[in-house]
Amino acid sequence: MNYEQYILLRKTASVIATLGLYSVLYKENKFYRLFEHIFLGVAAGWTVVALWTETLKAAWWEKMVGTEAAAGSPATDGFFAYILLLPIGLMGYFVFTKKYNWMSRIPIGIILGLWSGQQVQIWWNTYGPQIDATLKPVVPTTWDSLIVPSTAGLAPEQLAKVQSQIYLSQAINNFLFVTTVVCVLSYFLFSFNAQNKSLQRANMLGRYLLMIGFGAIFGSTVMTRFTLLIDRMYFVWIEWFRDGILPLFTPR
Amino acid sequence: MLLAQVAVERGFWSEAPNSPALWTKLSICLIIGLAVMVGLMFVPVRARRPIIGMCTFIAGLYWVLLYVWPKPIDRQPDEAPLNAVEGVAIWLEESNKFVVSFTQILTALLLGLGIFSLLTIHLGKIRRRHPDALFSGVLLASMLLMITFGYWDYNQRQGEAGALLDNPANWTFVQYSRDFLFQGFLQEMDAAMFSIIAFYILSAAYRAFRLRSVEATILLAAALLVLVSLMGAVSSAWDTQVRAIANGNPFVLNFQLSEISMWIRNTFQTSSIRGIQFGVGIGALAMGLRIWLGLERTGGQD
Amino acid sequence: MPGLGAKLQAMPKQIIYLVLITVTTIPLFFDVAVPNEPLEATQDYYATLEQLPEGSRVLMASDWTGSTRGESKGAFRSTLNILIRRKAKIAFYSTADPQAPRVAQDAINELNAERRRANLPEFKRWEDWISLGYFPDSEAANNGIANDLQGAFSGRKDFPPGAPPRDVFQSPVLEGITKVGQIPLLLIVTASKTSNFTVERIKPDRKTGYPKLLFAVTGVMVPETQVFYQSKQIAGYCGGLKGVYDLEQLMENGINFPSKKEAVVKSDKYDVVPGYPSPSNKGQGTRYYPTLHFALALMILLVIVGNIGMALSKREARS
Repeated sequence: MNYEQYILLRKTASVIATLGLYSVLYKENKFYRLFEHIFLGVAAGWTVVALWTETLKAAWWEKMVGTEAAAGSPATDGFFAYILLLPIGLMGYFVFTKKYNWMSRIPIGIILGLWSGQQVQIWWNTYGPQIDATLKPVVPTTWDSLIVPSTAGLAPEQLAKVQSQIYLSQAINNFLFVTTVVCVLSYFLFSFNAQNKSLQRANMLGRYLLMIGFGAIFGSTVMTRFTLLIDRMYFVWIEWFRDGILPLFTPR
Repeated sequence: MLLAQVAVERGFWSEAPNSPALWTKLSICLIIGLAVMVGLMFVPVRARRPIIGMCTFIAGLYWVLLYVWPKPIDRQPDEAPLNAVEGVAIWLEESNKFVVSFTQILTALLLGLGIFSLLTIHLGKIRRRHPDALFSGVLLASMLLMITFGYWDYNQRQGEAGALLDNPANWTFVQYSRDFLFQGFLQEMDAAMFSIIAFYILSAAYRAFRLRSVEATILLAAALLVLVSLMGAVSSAWDTQVRAIANGNPFVLNFQLSEISMWIRNTFQTSSIRGIQFGVGIGALAMGLRIWLGLERTGGQD
Repeated sequence: MPGLGAKLQAMPKQIIYLVLITVTTIPLFFDVAVPNEPLEATQDYYATLEQLPEGSRVLMASDWTGSTRGESKGAFRSTLNILIRRKAKIAFYSTADPQAPRVAQDAINELNAERRRANLPEFKRWEDWISLGYFPDSEAANNGIANDLQGAFSGRKDFPPGAPPRDVFQSPVLEGITKVGQIPLLLIVTASKTSNFTVERIKPDRKTGYPKLLFAVTGVMVPETQVFYQSKQIAGYCGGLKGVYDLEQLMENGINFPSKKEAVVKSDKYDVVPGYPSPSNKGQGTRYYPTLHFALALMILLVIVGNIGMALSKREARS
């Protein structure tokens, strides 16, 4: 069998598996369950392989036992303290015991501690620039023009002057931007039963403006999901059927 | 420095590869670790929460200190610390690779929990002759095949011919088998599984997306605008019509679909999602501090 | 007897599924050119790649697998084609999924097979690219890269031609690199939040301004990524299938290329960013984008039909 024949065989197996999984759209059936279990099996199997070959061997084992000199690579020492990670990791497996499952919270607590310790650092890295970008000018600095004039063909000094001004249309856009952020944040933070009427109105406006964000998220999500389906249809109908199977039956 | 990987001098913490000293220290360390683990089994109930809290706090303390501790300015690689404060700062920086490595290794070991759970459930089904035992057998057989050919392929790549095996012209039965399982089954079935959601999203939108309230109307309008703006042909046709009507008028040109969608995106969409993210970020910071300081009462308090 | 309103809302789901399959299959058999205006974010993405000095080192997180192949593979391939043309040296790593490193390597091998068929030089392992492997904890990995890149990747090995695996810092890709601030570009092709973890932890060096961050994300992540783009935390992004199509168009047409008067894609932000017309620019974006129109139109139609059905049902109930 040559490589092209192997590829066709592989694609045929993939198409059968795809159809098997798609059969759940009609109803749950044994054909679907068979391929579902094959999928879970190979996924779990690859995880076992990759965890060792891509991570643990280089990051843990070779650091712990060291490596001998090889062509182009000097020997490296072994740091025995890495073995302590094994009992710590093993404690995680006590989650399956009734009496000692509290011990599984030790490695999980360590991971959570490492995560939570980073939150202070990352909060400012993430939101500092965003706070800066949210504080936009809402008052126009010039009334020469209500909208931003065209910059086509302007000399550099005139271009710099236009770009340094805030026009009324920009101020309105900035005001809408800042208002949206503040109202949405107010809706999140002041979710208790606010008595103040202004706060209630801000929360209500925040809820409506939030819907615009959710609508955008929905639209983008739909694009992704449909693209994944189109990719499958392309694989089945074009890559496998048109380019793989049809040539077998059509005269050269 | 403690556990520095490329230390020039061999200190207490490192030994030559495959040396008796290394294996001795390794064994002693393992025994100590296992002894601590066994010792923890006999810890009284009231000591459990403080132990978990202490481990969590120490783990988080490193990152907090790394962030807040004063750092030396323009320190040269071989420059000695001027005082204790700088000494601590340098120690924190040089420990970073160990802490990162520790986190990766611990996470990898804990990822094995899922595999362990899968094995336990499906071996149990086979042992009990459950009606689905056949499927469990298929799962375990697939897993075994993937592990076999995955490792076999990896081992073959460790020699001098490693890079050559990237080219299918040099493949053997092992690489073909690994590729068949990984690409032919795993990747294609992964794609198929995720693409099924398209059917459900369409069906759900058809049945549930109704103009029943102001919020639903705004959501639907925003979603429709995004969907139409993603259709380049529609957007282009609309814009061409508007440009023909506008005849250069800058005000009318604002009614191009690309301009409208850009305005909605830059003015309302980005800002509302930013508001959500600020809210989530404040919540995550509060949750992080509560977990680090042991104030979180969920989980672990037996 | 159910009225028209009820009937319009009760289409069987199997019919809907069959229509969806038909609508996403038939257009694939036709080559349709779709007019398009690339988004500003994708233009910035393309311009940043094109303006990378030749021979630059690039860190690229490949955090996608077969599950998002429809969008991510197209972005990955197009980005690689641009970087190969810039003679970039790329170090790949993954923090999202254990499958991701193998998926990236298979995609590169596929690309090399095409280059061999077109008598183009291969994208060589060890000389031009290396694989750093999988890092299970994305947050820790990004912290390691930000604070101590050499430590984060220490012990990782890759394959020089005709030799056993060697330490990655001996490769021309990472030789002499100790800090992330020495790397001009950090690129993430992702289907999950690993891009967020990167922005949270990796900031450009104050002196060099490196690394610049570029994201190629799936459609689901586009709204969040737009927030980072608006606050200039990233230099640009390629979002979803539209982003992939935009990128392929930019590879073909450039920006203000050959001149602003004749250009297909015009921008006030840039002078001339060249395009390189070639059949190899046409990838998944060009193949799938026309079909996406029909699928989205079906979605819009069904939502409208459902709402008309609801309105009619209400009227029928009142009368």
